[in-house]
Amino acid sequence: MEKKSVSVTLEHVTKRFKDVKGKADVVAVNDSNFIIEPGELVTLLGPSGCGKTTTLRMIAGFELPTEGKIFIGNEDVTMLPPNKRDTATMFQSYGLFPHMTVFDNVAYGLKLRKVPSEEIKVRVNETLSLVGLADYGDRAPSKLSGGQQQRVALARSLIVTPSVLLLDEPLSNLDALLREQMRVEIRKIQRDLGITAVYVTHDRVEAMSLSDRVVVMKDGYIRQIGAPSEIYESPNSRFVAGFVGKAAFFPVTIMGHDGPHWTCDLGGRAVVVAHAADDVSVGDDAVLMARPESLRLAAPGEGHIDGRVRMNVYLGNSLESFIQTPFGEVLVQIDDPHAKRVYPEGAEVSIDFSPDRVRILNKDEE
Amino acid sequence: MFTKKRILQFCLAAVVFLLADFWIYQTLSANFQSYAEQRNFNEIELFARTAPEGQDVQDYEQWLPTVKSIIPGARALYFSYDESVFNFVPATGSPTAMALWNSNRGSAEFNKAMESVYYLEPMKLSRMFQADYSKDPDENSAEILGSQVFFVPVIDETGYQASGAIMILVPDVSVTGFQSLLRTLLIAAAVFFLAVITVILFTRDPMTGFMVLALFVIVLVFIAYPLFEAVRLSFLKNGKFTLEIWKECLSPTYIVALWGSLKLGVLTATFSTLLGFIFAFLIERTSFRQKKLMTTLATMPVISPPFSLSLSIILLFGNNGLISKQLLHLNTSIYGLGGLTLVEVIGMFPIAFLSISGVLRQIDSTVEDASLDLSATKWQTFRTITLPLAVPGILSGWLLVFTNSLADFANPLLLSGDYRVLSTEAYMLVTGRSNLGAGSALSFLLLMPTLTAFLVQRFWVARKSYVTVTGKPSTVLTELTSTPVRRVLEVISWAVLGFILALYLTIFAGCFVKNWGIDYTFTMANWGEALSRGWTSIRDTVTLAAIATPIAGLLAMMAAMLIVRKKFPGKRLLEMLIMTPYAIPGTLIGISYILAFNKPPILLVGTGAIIVINYVIRELPVGLENGITALHQIDPSIEEAAADLGADVPTVFRTIVLPLVRPAFLSSMSYTFVRSMTAVSAIIFLISARWNHLTVLIFNFSENLRFGLASVLSFVLIVIVLGVFALMQVLVKDDKLTQKTISAR
Repeated sequence: MEKKSVSVTLEHVTKRFKDVKGKADVVAVNDSNFIIEPGELVTLLGPSGCGKTTTLRMIAGFELPTEGKIFIGNEDVTMLPPNKRDTATMFQSYGLFPHMTVFDNVAYGLKLRKVPSEEIKVRVNETLSLVGLADYGDRAPSKLSGGQQQRVALARSLIVTPSVLLLDEPLSNLDALLREQMRVEIRKIQRDLGITAVYVTHDRVEAMSLSDRVVVMKDGYIRQIGAPSEIYESPNSRFVAGFVGKAAFFPVTIMGHDGPHWTCDLGGRAVVVAHAADDVSVGDDAVLMARPESLRLAAPGEGHIDGRVRMNVYLGNSLESFIQTPFGEVLVQIDDPHAKRVYPEGAEVSIDFSPDRVRILNKDEE
Repeated sequence: MFTKKRILQFCLAAVVFLLADFWIYQTLSANFQSYAEQRNFNEIELFARTAPEGQDVQDYEQWLPTVKSIIPGARALYFSYDESVFNFVPATGSPTAMALWNSNRGSAEFNKAMESVYYLEPMKLSRMFQADYSKDPDENSAEILGSQVFFVPVIDETGYQASGAIMILVPDVSVTGFQSLLRTLLIAAAVFFLAVITVILFTRDPMTGFMVLALFVIVLVFIAYPLFEAVRLSFLKNGKFTLEIWKECLSPTYIVALWGSLKLGVLTATFSTLLGFIFAFLIERTSFRQKKLMTTLATMPVISPPFSLSLSIILLFGNNGLISKQLLHLNTSIYGLGGLTLVEVIGMFPIAFLSISGVLRQIDSTVEDASLDLSATKWQTFRTITLPLAVPGILSGWLLVFTNSLADFANPLLLSGDYRVLSTEAYMLVTGRSNLGAGSALSFLLLMPTLTAFLVQRFWVARKSYVTVTGKPSTVLTELTSTPVRRVLEVISWAVLGFILALYLTIFAGCFVKNWGIDYTFTMANWGEALSRGWTSIRDTVTLAAIATPIAGLLAMMAAMLIVRKKFPGKRLLEMLIMTPYAIPGTLIGISYILAFNKPPILLVGTGAIIVINYVIRELPVGLENGITALHQIDPSIEEAAADLGADVPTVFRTIVLPLVRPAFLSSMSYTFVRSMTAVSAIIFLISARWNHLTVLIFNFSENLRFGLASVLSFVLIVIVLGVFALMQVLVKDDKLTQKTISAR
């Protein structure tokens, strides 16, 4: 079953569809260009309609790129039909064969490869126990729960030892608890087998917790590629910052740039910031991005932004404080609230932050 | 995809193949030409030996035309040897040949030929001459044609001297005929080869490409080509373009028939809709109990064989009918518009019933409740709410019946009497006067209203539906009818069903009566005679239908998969072409088939194959529709998963699609079988001495007033059809599980 991990390369891939009337073009994927390293799990993350599923379907071979090339390993697979590609896809709706038993579902790929029936038996049972369904071979897929169906689909994909595993929102039909379990399981199996994997989701938590790298997409464009921590902590646009987590944005004017330090004007006060995106420069109107957990509450006048506590929401391990400020309502997250000072609702406060926990971004909404 | 390398490969392959193709054509046609010349030479020498003795011109005049029995279309001219001028002079023979001689006499070639004949050597002139055959036309040649010219001596009794000479013209038709056939075949081969390498080189998935290509070949050859031929030949007379045929068809004689068809269609559609509405309303909108039973009984006439209803109407109400003559001693005739309308309404009201009940079933009672709640009376509610909501169903029912009535062929054939409708007129023209062009023109005349009604139904009425499927089952039915009204509806419905049942029983009774109308003694003799005379027809009909059934089923499902799931150029065109036979009258299809397939390159008339192909083509549309509907309910990711695991397109079709659409597959197969067994309008043109059809035999027996035999065969046909339907019910039943899983996911 050992197989060498391979990379997946997208070279300036563009996909245009005709719209419903067949007239205008709709660009689903625009000049995507990235490499997925061997054995890596990369997530395509974005709101619906951003082109992530289209990208996956092009890697699987269900769609043909309008322009560009796709490589699996060193082989140009752009023109190959799905059945000639060494990929296996897990579908959002699982795509189990309803007229076959669980065993036959899993055995399907092996039968096509003309594997002798004794070996099929051994390998199917092996794979079914890998996904924890050892005794379910004789059942019809419709007699299984959602999570079990999901695992049958996983077993069916894994048994053909694909070089690339493609997962199209595989967990979206499961309830929260199952989803977490399956997430861990998929990640574990993927790592153990060293399969290169592409995972499509619109759920940022899923993306963060699973992937080696995340590709954030919007309207067919790739907005940022990076490790989950990079995407979360150093987003390079307001869209990415907002999509991968909660964030507050304060309008600022950039006054100066000196070594690692940026000075900017925030509501009349000068503030020093340690990080900035690439597309900002001195003199620009920009925004200051801050995560709720990076913000602190201080006595009035002590911080950078004054405001008043509108509401406190107690969550146990943390407390969310909604602060009314001249820039709108800002969420401040106070971790371990028992150890810290909490301002009551209605109290005047000031919001403070340290320069290296905030980031200057282009003010464009995009 | 269009890389330089592939384009180069394509060009190379194309050039090699085209050269080879051309070379084959050249060689074969040259060989054939020299073979034909040699053969003509031999024939002509043989012919010269049969020359009458002596030099009596009258003998020669009688003998010369016999050349045609040796070489069709040839012309001969006799020269006697005139000793006074030491040369041959024309004595008698064909004016065509004489004209050619006169315009060429004295030329070097002709002189040389004469000289050669003088020395007893037959000779063929090396080049072709244009001869005007209209000077003495025959059925083989009547225009200016390139001809070979032969000269042969007539040797006198001594054996040393030519007593005369014969010039023979052989029109070059056989050679050109062969060459044009060869050309057609090789062009077809080239087109086919180019299409195949295009698919191999320029498509991502050659299997899909080949399947699409195969479907295109089938529809182009067996749907588009015959229809094209029918149009073309309706404009041709003696090989020339003319509007004569159409003028004849638009003359008052046939306009009367068109008017007759339309009148019958309107009457039938209106009464059928009315009756269909009563049934549908009773079953769908009232608390009537025997809904299942009534639905089954009311849909029965749809699958009843042609002629059977007409037959029993004749048995009951005909000139010697049981009721009209024996019981009531009436003198009115059932033949004509009245009888036709009656039979067609009974046969076709189920179509309206199904269409209307489909819409009535979907109407949610809450809208009626809302109306009643706003203090409308039940009658007002029916008039202002229920009826308007049902209008799309009523309209499309009306149009469907109208189309069916126009295309109906079997009933008018038996029952029309002096009343004239287009479908049978076309049949008479073709069989009675073997005027195929006019027959096809008449069928096209019929096509106009049929196609209009079909298109209106499909693209306008069917989309105007107000009823939306909410997926919310309405639990309570509000009844708009009071009990007495419902009783009236029930009585009407039962009466109609009773009448239909009586018609079937009449057929059954007819099987055992010695001579209906005259001698009602019980006899079993009909069975023996009908079965012995009809046995080969029964066997052939079942065999051909059984061959056509799986082909039509598989093709339909394959086409459905390609159309629903694949992208390829010309998809709409393909779908449209496959659907075409659904909208056009069977008469037209039958006529266009004999026009297209009674000559090379595709000579099929008289074979069983043409009947099978006709079955397949005619039932493909319904199978395709079934398949498309079934596939739309199946999650495409099931097929994608299979492809992803390494299954190519045919494997996906075989292991995934076919099992999943099994109910649709089985039902379209049984539909094809039943429709093939009961076909008549197209088949009646295609049957031959070798392959007869049961329905045509039934028609022949009824036409010859052998009602007993016709009844037995009708009964046998009904039993076979019902048997297939029952089998089908059993097979689909254990498929409920699959069906449920598909829709659940």
